[in-house]
Amino acid sequence: MSGRIISESAEALASALTAEYAAIWAYGPVGVRLSGAERKAAVEAEASHRARRDALVVQLSTGGGSVPPDRAGYALPFPVIDRASALRLAVQVEERTAAFWRAALPVSSGAERERALAALVEYAVRATRWRRSAEITPLTVPFPGRPG
Amino acid sequence: MVLTCPVAMGRTTWQDESSELSRRGLLRAGALLALGGAAAPLTGCGLLDRDEPPPQPDPLAPLLDESRRLAAGLRAAATAHPDLAARLLPLAESHEAHAAELAGLTGVATASATPTAGPSATPPTDRSAALAELRKSERAGREAAIRACAAAPAERAALLGSIAAARATHLEALR
Repeated sequence: MSGRIISESAEALASALTAEYAAIWAYGPVGVRLSGAERKAAVEAEASHRARRDALVVQLSTGGGSVPPDRAGYALPFPVIDRASALRLAVQVEERTAAFWRAALPVSSGAERERALAALVEYAVRATRWRRSAEITPLTVPFPGRPG
Repeated sequence: MVLTCPVAMGRTTWQDESSELSRRGLLRAGALLALGGAAAPLTGCGLLDRDEPPPQPDPLAPLLDESRRLAAGLRAAATAHPDLAARLLPLAESHEAHAAELAGLTGVATASATPTAGPSATPPTDRSAALAELRKSERAGREAAIRACAAAPAERAALLGSIAAARATHLEALR
């Protein structure tokens, strides 16, 4: 039975890893459309997703689980052609990545759940910051990371 | 891979929560069986003849009260500072949505929508002092929700995680 818990948790973390790959990739086109403080914020956001990706790769491979591979490219939900579309994509990236870490909460416990929660909180807060830059109102959603 | 894929995959994982529920049910049933086996020799001692202890209040009751208090504080501040209302009222609505979910989870009637501690005192007349007070409350609320999520059973962890994250985003929105 504990084997099943471990596998559910590994499955959730593998899904989170695929989301982190896509997030890192997406910050490429986002970053080039931003400048100044917003460019800096995009660089910091990308670094944060890279750090979580690296930790997940180590955790999944040492845990004997399968490590899903990164892809050469990811389809964007809409073309990123200017600052406004870049900010909109940044909001989506953070909110969708947050959803994966939220999904990891029920299948984790202890330090692992704390890490998943830290990621959910961090990405939700960053989504709010991007919403402010993009002048999207409201700045917040009632249930960050909840699907639908 | 399309970036929309993560959300769809998130739903798949979401469905897993229900299987998690049934798994926990099985675990509990197993625990009861084990308890029954261990307790059998003790029946002669009258250990099982004691009255049932009174039901404990749900551990999420303080969090529910806090959601209502935070909502009331934001509404009071929005009334005192109408220029802030557009910023504050969506946050109050989020806390009220949390309260409704927590009430459903803990079995508390939603009719008793008044916070047990009553709404906080009149908000400061100074605009930035009012915002600072709201930030202080949201920060304490975020920490409480983080603790609740860490200690929660699997079936409550995702909701509590969202509540912790929401309170953290409120703190950001009040800057």
